[in-house]
Amino acid sequence: MSSLELELDGLRRRYGTVTALDGLTFGVPAGQVFGFLGPNGAGKTTAMRAIFGVASLDAGEIRWRGEPVGEQARRKFGYMPEERGLYPGMRLLEQIEYFATLHDMPAQSARAAAKHWLGRLGLRGREDARVDGLSHGNQQRAQLAVALVHDPELLVLDEPFAGLDPGGVDDMSGILAERAAAGVTVLFSSHQLDLVEDLCEAVAIIHHGRLVVAGPVADLRRGDRPRLAVRVAGDADGRWARMAGADLGDIEAVRQDGTVVISLTRGADSQRVLDLARAAGPVEHFSYEARRLSEVFREATGASVGQAEAEHAGRTAGTAAGTAGTAAGTGTAAGAAR
Amino acid sequence: MNRDVRMTWLVARRELRQRGRTRVFAISTVVLLVAVALGVALPAILSRHAKPERVGYVGDVTAAATQLIEQAGRIAQTRVTVVHEPDAAAAEAALRSGDVGVVLVPDREVLVKQVPLGTGSGGTLPNVLAQLAGLGRLFQEVPAAAAAAAKGIALPVRGLQPPSSPLGNRLTGLFTVVLVWVLISVYGSQIALGIGEEKSSRVVEVLLAVVRPVQLLVGKVLGIGLLALAQTAAMVAVFIVAGFASGSSLVHSTAIGIVLAGGVFMVLGYAFYCTAFAAAGSLVSRQSDVNATVMPVQLPLIVAYALSYTVIYANGANAFYHVLGFLPPTAPIAMPVLYAAGDVPAWQVVVSAALCAAGTVWMARVAAGIYSRSILRTGGRIRLRQALRREPAEAR
Repeated sequence: MSSLELELDGLRRRYGTVTALDGLTFGVPAGQVFGFLGPNGAGKTTAMRAIFGVASLDAGEIRWRGEPVGEQARRKFGYMPEERGLYPGMRLLEQIEYFATLHDMPAQSARAAAKHWLGRLGLRGREDARVDGLSHGNQQRAQLAVALVHDPELLVLDEPFAGLDPGGVDDMSGILAERAAAGVTVLFSSHQLDLVEDLCEAVAIIHHGRLVVAGPVADLRRGDRPRLAVRVAGDADGRWARMAGADLGDIEAVRQDGTVVISLTRGADSQRVLDLARAAGPVEHFSYEARRLSEVFREATGASVGQAEAEHAGRTAGTAAGTAGTAAGTGTAAGAAR
Repeated sequence: MNRDVRMTWLVARRELRQRGRTRVFAISTVVLLVAVALGVALPAILSRHAKPERVGYVGDVTAAATQLIEQAGRIAQTRVTVVHEPDAAAAEAALRSGDVGVVLVPDREVLVKQVPLGTGSGGTLPNVLAQLAGLGRLFQEVPAAAAAAAKGIALPVRGLQPPSSPLGNRLTGLFTVVLVWVLISVYGSQIALGIGEEKSSRVVEVLLAVVRPVQLLVGKVLGIGLLALAQTAAMVAVFIVAGFASGSSLVHSTAIGIVLAGGVFMVLGYAFYCTAFAAAGSLVSRQSDVNATVMPVQLPLIVAYALSYTVIYANGANAFYHVLGFLPPTAPIAMPVLYAAGDVPAWQVVVSAALCAAGTVWMARVAAGIYSRSILRTGGRIRLRQALRREPAEAR
């Protein structure tokens, strides 16, 4: 793991009674598209803001190439925050150029780079348009141009796929892959785990401000207990599979068409499963099956992404109610004391 | 270039370019300049084109009589035309009909249609005429008096109170105060609105990823300040040019010290209030809330401004206004007024400016603190007490 460029180490942050980050630790390797995943409210935005010093931390450290991140390093970072924002009345080209100069680009190359990215993102001809006159999609592209214009070494994008149509998702993922191929470290967040599992090489999945799992997507989807899907002709209930002992694996599910889903016991031989199946009848289907990332999340946390988000929403509302209750209680106590 | 300076300047330059280019700025500049030019030149031009006063003279108009009447006109700053009247009855008739405004009956009296109340022996044309004609008669009767008059017969005039500053100075003071007031309220609200815009459009998060809050705050105040300074300089230039061109008394009697003091306090006042306005702007999440937040910040300024008229038009300021002259929030308006009215010596102006500068440094620090703590907080309006707390402040 020596090639980790960006390291988040033991990040902690509390807002009142809400814990946003609870010792979050993971690393992002160089030149990869890295997904930072988790349900809404897991602490992704706080962590990304902390990279830019826009959110402060109670504890922990963020390192870039082994050094704590400071102003110097941040000038080489590109950022697309969750809440998009540009100057509404400013012309597009000037705006992109302005952000380039803020990232230390000389005026000449700032203009050239701004033009290049506007062209690359399909905004050629809109250079003089005011940002508030652009369509929603084009505003998203402009925001991306701001993050890219100074040719950053690290690209941090908070929910870049939110609100994009399928074509927009393709464009965005194409650009992220292209940047990674050019050696840029790309970190993006999403709460739609399954939507982005094909777009990134590695992910970190977090929940309650803590890391749940991290690693290459392929490894996570296979898991340490690979999953087999086997169908034997004429056996709609998958009875044959019950003969297999726990030393081989556990039956996760039997599908409508009789396909049995088995998670193999660690170190078990998949060919013994095939033998069992063949003994029961002609084998119509036999394959490894990858898990969805949402399943990986559920296996690790015991809750679905949706449940986690509902719980988060409830917790936030509960906090507000709790505060109100406390205030009322204090009032009564004061009244009694008087 | 130092990096702090470079970042601050980049922010300031953006403000300059974006705002300097807007139609609102162009139009407001033109309107202001025209207003200043008209305000200065119109009274002067009007008075020059006023009709000459017709002065009736009963009897034959001699060269000496014409000379005397014209001399009186010069002293009273009125152009005069001498009209011959055959006798007192004809002169009275001409006076009643309005053909002449004033009649000199040699060696007897000066006739007007109606003597205004309370003018005393001031410099109006009839009074001057009466005095000059009286002197003429004295010189005829007492030849020695004429010789004495040639050497100068006036007695010294001594005032019991220190001399009050001339009207021209007070008017310059008024002009300065109005400028400071307009500048701070117009550009101050622009700053607050601009910061509200950065906050509500959320562009501030991208900015703060690379710019420090202080750089952003100072750059904004500086950029808009330079624009304000340019506009003010243009207004002063027009004031001077239009004043000289039209021969306005406003310019001729302008004391350079008052203009200088006004300029210093204009910059101090702008810096003091605009950092405060910036802090106020950072407290709101929606631009529509900006005005309500800015209002309390402006209160001391409003008090000083409203009271300044009483100082300019009354004889001397009271102790309360003197105190205002030394408090940083009110000094930018109160001190130029006091100085213009001749109520304070120059050293007190310097002390007040130093206090105000110190206050501005303090204000900028507090404002930068409030600003950096509240600029990223969204939701409702933030209370000042929350913003002043050391606890870092983000929405999540």
